[in-house]
Amino acid sequence: MTGALPELDPVIHAQARLRVVSALATLRADDRIAFPRLQDILRMTAGNLSVHLRKLEDAGYVEVTKTHQGRTPATLVRLTGRGRVAFDDYTAALRALLNGTTNLQEEP
Amino acid sequence: MDANDDELPPLDPAESLRLIAREQAATVRRLTPDPRLLLWPWGLAWLVGFGVFFLRFGPGGRVYVDMPDFLPLTVLLAAITLAGIVTGFVGARAGRQVSGPTSRQGAMYGFTWSVAFIGMAVLLSRVSELLPVPDANLLWAGAMVALTGALHMAGGALWNDRVLYVLGISISVVNVVGIALGPGWHALVVAVLGGGGMLVAGLVSWLRMPR
Repeated sequence: MTGALPELDPVIHAQARLRVVSALATLRADDRIAFPRLQDILRMTAGNLSVHLRKLEDAGYVEVTKTHQGRTPATLVRLTGRGRVAFDDYTAALRALLNGTTNLQEEP
Repeated sequence: MDANDDELPPLDPAESLRLIAREQAATVRRLTPDPRLLLWPWGLAWLVGFGVFFLRFGPGGRVYVDMPDFLPLTVLLAAITLAGIVTGFVGARAGRQVSGPTSRQGAMYGFTWSVAFIGMAVLLSRVSELLPVPDANLLWAGAMVALTGALHMAGGALWNDRVLYVLGISISVVNVVGIALGPGWHALVVAVLGGGGMLVAGLVSWLRMPR
């Protein structure tokens, strides 16, 4: 191994937020998912998901929009371009870490 | 899950990568409309609708099961309308969950089916009464199946979905073979191979979903 091990993004490096970002990353850019649907997929409470979305929003990784679908108010969530880059960097760092530790274990 | 536990990092990189893969597979599975709900209603509608057609208007004018001559078309149209309602409902539900380019694509594709079939029906209703009944039936059925095959191929191209594309080609080929065999036989091959093909395609697409 050359160079230091990559650092993991602390915003994503928490189980709950990693799950949120992983789910959002499956959507196409500019697609927005309804909050209740995301909550249902992640099996989180509304309050819990709101807390994590706020932290991701503060980092500029997600965008939360309030809109109306017909007469019902709807909250829509999407991963920003910056969020997608952060997620890709995070998974790349995980793979680098994984290869790094494997190499260390292989040394006598 | 406790909010404090949420802040804990995953145990190790391998576990994190597994968590990501699991979450992404679950999300895709939950957001993709169930292909069985999109294809099975149509497969059953064709199997039953064209099946009844074959029994009443068999090859060479044979009547396998005696029934009023308006009944086959009524059954076919009712079955197709029912299938359209089911798939429209499934598509609209998917559109409410995710908004943006993907749901716009889906809405435009759904609208295309309606416009294409209305255009076909307007044209054929003007000319079909000039034909003998078996040929008029073949004209309607052949045009409908040709349009369905082409629209499934277009759908396969749109969603980059090989199963749907192959289904479209199969339906198109079955249609041409049936037309060559003539009235009666066309209804049989379309019912069995066309309707059956949609049932198989729905099953294969469902089995290929990430899990």
